[in-house]
Amino acid sequence: MTAYLAIFKQFILRALAREKLRASITVLGISLGVGVAIAIRLANASALESFRAATDSIAGETSIQIAGTAGRFDEMLLADLGWLRAYGQVSPVITGFAKIEPGTEGVDSKTGAAFRGTFLQVLGVDVLRDWMLRRYRLLRVSENGPEPTARELLTLLADPQSVVLTEQFARRHGIPIGSRIALLAGDARRDFIVRGLLLDEGPARALQGNFALMDIAAAQLAFNRIGLLDRVDVKLKRGLDINAAEAEIGGRLPVGLTVLRPETGYGQVEKMISAFQFNLSALGSIALLVGLFLVYNTVSISVITRREEIGALRAVGGGRLLVLALFLSEALLMTIVGTVFGLVLGRLMASVAVRVTATTVETFYIASAATETIARHSLGSIDILLAFALALTLALVAAAVPALEASRVRPIEAMRGAERLRRAFKPSTKQLVISLALFALGYGFSWFGPVNNLPIFGYLAAVALMFGGAFLVPNVLWLSCAMTGRWVARVMGRAGVDCMLASANLRAAIPRVSISVAALAVALAMMVAVSIMIGSFRETVSYWVGETMVADIYARPLTRSSTTDEGEISELAIAAAKADPQVAAVYPFSTQQLNYQGEPIVVGAGDFETFLKYGRLLFKSPANPRDEIQAAIGRDSVTVNESFALRFKKRVGDDIELSTAAGAHQFRIVAIYYDYSSSRGWAVMDQTTYARHFPYARPTSMSLYLEPGADAAEVIDRLSRAVSGGSQVLFATNGALKREVMRIFDSTFAITYALEVIAIAIAAMGVITTLIALILERRREIALVGFLGATRSQIRRMVVIEAFLIGGVSQTIGVLIGFMLSMVLIYVINVQSFAWTIQFHFPLGFLIQSSVLILGVTAVAGLYPAARATRIDAVRFAREE
Amino acid sequence: MPILVVDNVHRTYDGDGRAVSAVRGVSFDAETGSFISLMGPSGCGKSTLLHIIGAMDRPTRGSVSLGGVTFDSLSEEALASLRRKKIGFVFQFFNLLPTLTVAENVALPLMLDGARHSQARLRAGEMLARVGLSGRTTHFPAELSGGEMQRVAVARAVVTQPELILADEPTGNLDTDNGTEIMNLLAELNRELGLTIILATHSSDAARYASRTLQMRDGLIEHPE
Repeated sequence: MTAYLAIFKQFILRALAREKLRASITVLGISLGVGVAIAIRLANASALESFRAATDSIAGETSIQIAGTAGRFDEMLLADLGWLRAYGQVSPVITGFAKIEPGTEGVDSKTGAAFRGTFLQVLGVDVLRDWMLRRYRLLRVSENGPEPTARELLTLLADPQSVVLTEQFARRHGIPIGSRIALLAGDARRDFIVRGLLLDEGPARALQGNFALMDIAAAQLAFNRIGLLDRVDVKLKRGLDINAAEAEIGGRLPVGLTVLRPETGYGQVEKMISAFQFNLSALGSIALLVGLFLVYNTVSISVITRREEIGALRAVGGGRLLVLALFLSEALLMTIVGTVFGLVLGRLMASVAVRVTATTVETFYIASAATETIARHSLGSIDILLAFALALTLALVAAAVPALEASRVRPIEAMRGAERLRRAFKPSTKQLVISLALFALGYGFSWFGPVNNLPIFGYLAAVALMFGGAFLVPNVLWLSCAMTGRWVARVMGRAGVDCMLASANLRAAIPRVSISVAALAVALAMMVAVSIMIGSFRETVSYWVGETMVADIYARPLTRSSTTDEGEISELAIAAAKADPQVAAVYPFSTQQLNYQGEPIVVGAGDFETFLKYGRLLFKSPANPRDEIQAAIGRDSVTVNESFALRFKKRVGDDIELSTAAGAHQFRIVAIYYDYSSSRGWAVMDQTTYARHFPYARPTSMSLYLEPGADAAEVIDRLSRAVSGGSQVLFATNGALKREVMRIFDSTFAITYALEVIAIAIAAMGVITTLIALILERRREIALVGFLGATRSQIRRMVVIEAFLIGGVSQTIGVLIGFMLSMVLIYVINVQSFAWTIQFHFPLGFLIQSSVLILGVTAVAGLYPAARATRIDAVRFAREE
Repeated sequence: MPILVVDNVHRTYDGDGRAVSAVRGVSFDAETGSFISLMGPSGCGKSTLLHIIGAMDRPTRGSVSLGGVTFDSLSEEALASLRRKKIGFVFQFFNLLPTLTVAENVALPLMLDGARHSQARLRAGEMLARVGLSGRTTHFPAELSGGEMQRVAVARAVVTQPELILADEPTGNLDTDNGTEIMNLLAELNRELGLTIILATHSSDAARYASRTLQMRDGLIEHPE
């Protein structure tokens, strides 16, 4: 072993030290690849982890939960649930999110700035009943005082203006006991007094301490749910089987109530974001693979440039196994170093990844808590072990081929002059056939449906297409070289000889350079595909926004945003809007989340009369359903969005069963509309139907249609003043909202652009290192050309033309495969992941621009290898001859 | 007037603090159309001298002039131009570009000098015919025998109609028959085209083709004129 390490040091480490630039590029590429993969893994994990942690903290010792089939339910039903006490401890719950209002006393302890709106998860409970289900530990008033009891906590919360915050939150924001805070729940602003602080246990741990406890009556008032409950939590008696109890209780519940497990919400969220996370992971994997391609490249270059040294090592007695081990060790060493840097980089990039995913996913937990979670998250030993295991395994696979080639170098190659002559590459029918077969396979895969709602076959189709493109590379390179050498050289005047030499060199090097070109082509193909997909998507969304967002003003409660689903609009705000002389029509809209076939959907409602007169949707089926929607007013009919129809395989005329306050009920689908505002399924009904089946739900937003000539800004100003004090509503003009929609759209895809740039950068590094390798391998030929009278400019041009050819072939194949991949992305992966129809749009301008850029970048990338080529000493070559 | 004048050329290399003199004051002339062999054992400096004469290396002292043009005052670009237009090389190991066909290898010096593709190809064809390889124009070097490769190298060396041919052990990598063939070819070109040839060799058989032999030893010409 000692002897091996000594040989490794002399033969490999010294060589790496000589080629610092090449080694650094490889390590950097691996770091980037590992970093991106880790960042995405951490982002995905933290997103769900924060939600799971919050769910577990708040659930406490709750075994099962009773909830309304249509959301909230009348608290009078609780009187009929007295028999539940036989099963265990029962605690009714009001829960929701509230925002701390500006103007609240307190400053941020980190920045010292006046405190501004953070969301709190609010739990409203009967403390005496809830004490057995959740662990509440109050901060002791004095050092030696006794532990506060449930009664003392109840006393603290007796006043409807009382609230208990967490010690963590209070410390962070400098809020002492006794201070006043203003909470915004829905659009209502209410003042509260902080009566106590909870220590970091139980529900106080949820969302990094962003938790508030109230008496249930105070919560009902705060959230405008007088007479309603959100759920009843049950802690089963010891010894009772949970499954049996669940079944029994479920069988005894009255219509309108259902039994759930606390972790149900977690499962729903996991499903909701799984497609997004899967797509993100797939993109991240590409960065890792492209990074590891550099390992292949570097080991290949080592072997190419050191054939004579390897021959000498073999000549003096080194065996094949020794040579194999040396080059594999080289790969492992670079991968270990790259992975260490990659882990650090990944941790840094994770925060960015989480922030970006937060704008995409529609759950508050993930938006804010994930950001907090990742800020505190250090890489676990599992993350580190996984990173090393994966990277090292892939590195061994990547390095295996060149290392085996090295082990086959014969001792005779230590003699000068051996192996100088090579046969030129000839076009390969076999590779063409493989390529076409892979394209056919990709096409075949694209016909398969999703597996567990994941587009597995879609990704297999994409992989098949990418490999098909890779197998095209040698033949396309040959063709490009032949055309350049034969035709282009003739019209290039003095530069014709440079073209001739470049094309001849590249043609001979096809077996060597194909892998680099394939990697760059694949990276470019992904960029082209994603660009076409995003471009098409953007055009579709932009058109959809233009066609469907026709109200003049949109209003929502301040607590409702792109990432929070909380809050209702008060009657005061609606009445103020209706009373405004310049408002022609008001369209309040209600939404709530329900379960449908185990997945979360949204049920919405609006006044169909108003919609028919003022509103607009783009319908998939039928094309113009005015009559159907008119007929749906007051009836048990719904329109569903395309996501719903595709996900649950429903068509116009089908019936769906929704859980209402009175139990399950059938609704007929009368139309399907296009909807890009959400990837969840939506079912929308007329408001009178909704009021009948969901009596406790209230409007969550409203659209205002103004009289002709009315100034939207003026109306907003008027309405804001009219509702201020009693209601906190955010008004936005049509233009502002459209801009916001497109901004969210663009920020959602920012991460994909970043990943693509990283993948291309890594592949471009591969091109540079490959060109350098080729130059080193043919230094004798380059010296000879110099010897025969070529100027430095000619030699430089020759190498740059080679780089240009590489870029041209990569981009050509990249565009071709990218186009095919975009079809898979748009018509298969996207549909199966998010159930959206995207209208294909070919961004010709972008593709021309990117092609020019890529050609320029690869030509520039050729400058460094070209400079090295000009430094080859023809005199020294002649002397060696 | 001699086509080539080598005047008191020295070449010293500095290595590890010790100066090594490969050429220690060599002077001679070559008339147009002469065939001169430089003979001497390995390490005597004949290849170094050839490199200096071929404008591949600069002397530490002394000067070389070809066709009245002295090398000392020329820039690197000018020397490269000189090599393209006025000097042809034939190496021991042929040194053909393996990625170019036979015709392309021969045409290369012309094309490097800016000749049109068609003209370069035409001229290359003529030279290949002259050396008896017109049937191999589209082949790659890997498909040729040693003797054929060296004939291609000779064709490449003369395609630009240079003033001087420098041949460094041209038969060193060939068997006797092929070696004889190459020497006969060089002698023919010398006679028919009036090419001035300087041949570095340690083979007395090869040296016999020259009209004059200069013996080198330890960086000096023995019995200088």
